Amino acid sequence: MTTVDRSAPTPAQAARRAFNLQLALYKHVWHGTVFTSGLLPILYMVSIGIGVGAYIDSSAVGGLTYAEFIAPGLVCSVAVMMLGNDMVFPVFGGYADWGGHYLAQRATPLSPVDMLNGHLLYAVVFRPFTNCAIVALVLAFFGVYPNGWWAVFAVIAAALVAAALAPWLHFWASSLKNDANLNMIFRFAVIPISLFSGVFFPASEMPVFLQPLVWASPLWHGTELARAATADVAPALPPAAHIAYLAALAVTGWFAARWRIQKRLNF
Amino acid sequence: MPHDDEILVRAADLRKSYGEHEAVRGVDFEIRRGEAFGFLGANGAGKSTTMRMIGCVSQPTGGELEVFGRDPHTQGAEIRARLGVVPQDNTLDGMLTVFENLVVYAGYFGIKKKVAKVKAAELLEFVQLSSRAKDQVSELSGGMQRRLAIARSLINEPELVILDEPTTGLDPQARHLVWERLFQLKHRGVSILLTTHYMDEAEQLCDRLVVMDEGRIIASGSPRELIDTHVTKEVVELRFGPAHTTELAELALTLNGIGAQIEALPDKILVYTDDADDTNAALEARKIHPTSVLARRATLEDVFLRLTGRALVEDEA
Repeated sequence: MTTVDRSAPTPAQAARRAFNLQLALYKHVWHGTVFTSGLLPILYMVSIGIGVGAYIDSSAVGGLTYAEFIAPGLVCSVAVMMLGNDMVFPVFGGYADWGGHYLAQRATPLSPVDMLNGHLLYAVVFRPFTNCAIVALVLAFFGVYPNGWWAVFAVIAAALVAAALAPWLHFWASSLKNDANLNMIFRFAVIPISLFSGVFFPASEMPVFLQPLVWASPLWHGTELARAATADVAPALPPAAHIAYLAALAVTGWFAARWRIQKRLNF
Repeated sequence: MPHDDEILVRAADLRKSYGEHEAVRGVDFEIRRGEAFGFLGANGAGKSTTMRMIGCVSQPTGGELEVFGRDPHTQGAEIRARLGVVPQDNTLDGMLTVFENLVVYAGYFGIKKKVAKVKAAELLEFVQLSSRAKDQVSELSGGMQRRLAIARSLINEPELVILDEPTTGLDPQARHLVWERLFQLKHRGVSILLTTHYMDEAEQLCDRLVVMDEGRIIASGSPRELIDTHVTKEVVELRFGPAHTTELAELALTLNGIGAQIEALPDKILVYTDDADDTNAALEARKIHPTSVLARRATLEDVFLRLTGRALVEDEA
């Protein structure tokens, strides 16, 4: 007589089970995140926030100190950087001989959608609410939150940015058949998004023809929300509009990623 | 139709097409509880596709399939909860340790961590990898990884273990170790379903098997039944120095009347016979002197050759 449960898991149970793999993998690499979550924001803040900030007139950045201006965007851009690691190589490798964890999970009660949800749970919930939260905490020591405890919402904004981007990255990495193109995401998405989303200078300073790209960037919407939380700066759009845009990207991305992973794993 | 609990898998006119290509062309078979059942065939014969349908990761495009009396289309998760799968590529996680691979996999089946750890330790003992528990998978040899994949497939106490070419790519020593563990599993009463293109593997492990070719089952039975039904008791292999395909085909014509059947292969001629001594005497009488003569008992390889007209290994490239 078996002691193992033979029933099909609920979607929530199944996603949690798939998430546990990411957690087990994270336990092997968590020390690497000490740099991205702990040291990197300090380096940014000392070199750019304080160093470059000494040359910037506060009137150019909405009456804030430059360190106060960039802090919320840094919290959100760390979320984007982490996605570059969490949703590209591990997703591609899930179908290949770099572990092939999706192929392994396919032989279990988990369905392709469960695998997607488990991976997203890690990238959209676990990572922002641990690593981005640590970034926010480290930055707090620089006194960059004029709005006090409202800064907690910057972490939620970072999670929203992750939610908007993660499924699309999953979709993209699941569509690749060749690992030679994996680094493209850093050259053509992660770095440009990080540089041109109003994190380091007001997006309105960008040339007019590039403005639509800024508006399209999830990081810009997240940064606007985060800055409203940390410094009480009125965002470019009503907060609900920023949230709706990020939510729309998240939902459409989830459907695209679901379609792709089902296509890859139903033989 | 009431489900017979002793029949784990039942397929009737099972089909699978990918666009125009028909990979499985209407196969019928039953796999019974406690038996070791094999799918034998060259690459592209349709055996892996059939296994995927049984494993509920590929939907049939025609016919009927029941696994544990359930419908794979609507009850895939419940079926997979009762299966153990050893895929050809192992799909072990190289970043995790040997032990973690088992514990994490157990989690997919809803097995609590505490129980999973006990099971993992037992299974590593079973596959003789206890001393490597803390090593990363990437540090293991191919044979060890295969044994770990077998251990992983048992973590959920499956009623049927599916092995896709369990010893492909392993050296002879590693193959024998894997076979030995699979024998142990059989003795424990675990039902086994395997695909292979190694005839010796099929003969060693399978109680019953089907031979597949171009998406169809062309023969079925126990290894002994297949040999008795389709080939003679013995085979005499004749080699004629550097003679090759065309020359051998011509030489084969001169052997007419010797043995029950003559088969010319690219490098040798096979004479199917019930008495190798008689065959040797007949060769001597016709003054035919091959450079080497090897008499051996007939195997499943010969069955495949007789049924399909070609050797299994020809299609491997």
